[in-house]
Amino acid sequence: MKLTSLRWIAGIWLAAFAVPLCTHAQEFKIGSREVQVHGFGTQGYVKTNDNNWLTMNTSGDGSGAFTDMGLNMGMQINSKLRIGGQFYDRKLGKLGDWEPLMDWAMVDYHPKPWLGFRAGKVKTVLGLFTDSQDMDFANTFALLPQSVYPIDLRDSTIAHEGGDIYGREKLAHNLGSIAYTAYGGRRADNMNSGYPYLLTGYGIKLTSYGGPVFGGDFRWNPPVHGLTVGISRLNEMITGRGSYNGEAGVPAQPNYWEKSKHDWTNQFYGRLVKEKFHAESEYRRYLRDQTIFSGLSWVETDVRGWYVGGGYTINKWIEAGSYYSHYRINPSGGAGVASSYPDAQLHDYDKVVTAKFTVNKYTYFKVEGHFMDGNGTALYPAGFYANVNSNGFADNTNALVVRTGVSF
Amino acid sequence: MKKLLFAFQLIALASIFVVQAKAQVIVIANPGVKASEVSKNDLKDVFTGASTTLGGASVVPILLKAGTAHEEFLQAYIGKNDTAYRAGWRSLVFSGQATMPKSVDGDAAVVEFVAHNNGAIGYISKSSPHDGVKVLTVR
Repeated sequence: MKLTSLRWIAGIWLAAFAVPLCTHAQEFKIGSREVQVHGFGTQGYVKTNDNNWLTMNTSGDGSGAFTDMGLNMGMQINSKLRIGGQFYDRKLGKLGDWEPLMDWAMVDYHPKPWLGFRAGKVKTVLGLFTDSQDMDFANTFALLPQSVYPIDLRDSTIAHEGGDIYGREKLAHNLGSIAYTAYGGRRADNMNSGYPYLLTGYGIKLTSYGGPVFGGDFRWNPPVHGLTVGISRLNEMITGRGSYNGEAGVPAQPNYWEKSKHDWTNQFYGRLVKEKFHAESEYRRYLRDQTIFSGLSWVETDVRGWYVGGGYTINKWIEAGSYYSHYRINPSGGAGVASSYPDAQLHDYDKVVTAKFTVNKYTYFKVEGHFMDGNGTALYPAGFYANVNSNGFADNTNALVVRTGVSF
Repeated sequence: MKKLLFAFQLIALASIFVVQAKAQVIVIANPGVKASEVSKNDLKDVFTGASTTLGGASVVPILLKAGTAHEEFLQAYIGKNDTAYRAGWRSLVFSGQATMPKSVDGDAAVVEFVAHNNGAIGYISKSSPHDGVKVLTVR
């Protein structure tokens, strides 16, 4: 482990024990209204037996280039109106690059339980964990199932600039309750994200990537205590612009563009929480049909991912968990796009075991093992990038992930 | 047979302790809150951020920072320990869905807040003075 990683870990642990001493710093007043301040930070270390993973140099000595943090402020104006915002910063191998981002910033008006409005930059509701995927302290696993929540593609679904309509209503006859969210707006990816990074390997340097998005989520809490089932849908019309140097065999294009023909995601999910036990499963299909190379070619990727997992809290300090994550991609394309791939590049089946240790109410650490069959490297990012695997890919990868964090 | 009887006695004894533990905490609300009773599920929804209303009216939960009443309340009505409970709230806060409920030191501070804030709902030890607030029956 590199010295810088050790420094980060030491810093986070120091903060963890300092936080309880300065909890009064979590709020201050503007006029008569209270402003809450919260934050979180994590530091990870990843070691693989083969293949560099998540754009880090994880083989060899492993990598500690796995850090993120967020700072949040919020104010309840009155019982129906709330404002807030959050900065987020991360370094994940070649991604993030410490560029601070406005994670979300919005006004929330909630006049009725069944009707609320959010406007600004709003976290996108997609399945169980898209909007809470950064809250490592709340998750059992150091890495959520990558078939459905790829950490390298966080930017692509995390938030939209626009608005939500949402609400929750109890059903008659003891049928439980339902909740809905409908949203529309625009997505704008950071250029230090996984997809732009993947394209650099093909000689394409994007300067912008985003476009209109709209979708919704509907979930039902049936009378079975602790059970949630739901469905989400996301539609996108994405345009990418930049330059292309001719590396992929198609003539160079200084004013490169690519554009969605069809781009949608369907997600189905269920979760059961019973005291010390939780189990969840989700299925996500992501279809992406794009015109690329400024109209000279096309590419379609049909990604189907699902997982089943769960966790059990053994005592107040230890939680154990496991999941199986199943990723499969069906790629096709025109000029400049490979026509066939070995099977290992079309799938990534990941078996995971984890242990989460709670140190105190602010601090934890996790130790996790991943046993991956396949690398899923065909055409679309799935954790393994040719850019950092210049000698090609091994079919299978085992990984050790250690992650510690603090939140207040 | 004797062993079976002994086991039943143990279970019965344990049940008494559980009931007594639950009975040590009462749920209080501002007198302006119309509801006089609350279901366990509704109470859990309010105190986990899933709902902001009770009987159709807005409510504002207030928490104890720590202590026996706090632990008993979480155990009896939320089903989580304090660390997991606050992590759940922080998850809502960081995803922009809520602000964290106010936490105060001691039952007197809870009673003070609940008595003077419309829609406020909290919990205290049964033995603590609670003038100026109403006690909600938990169904």
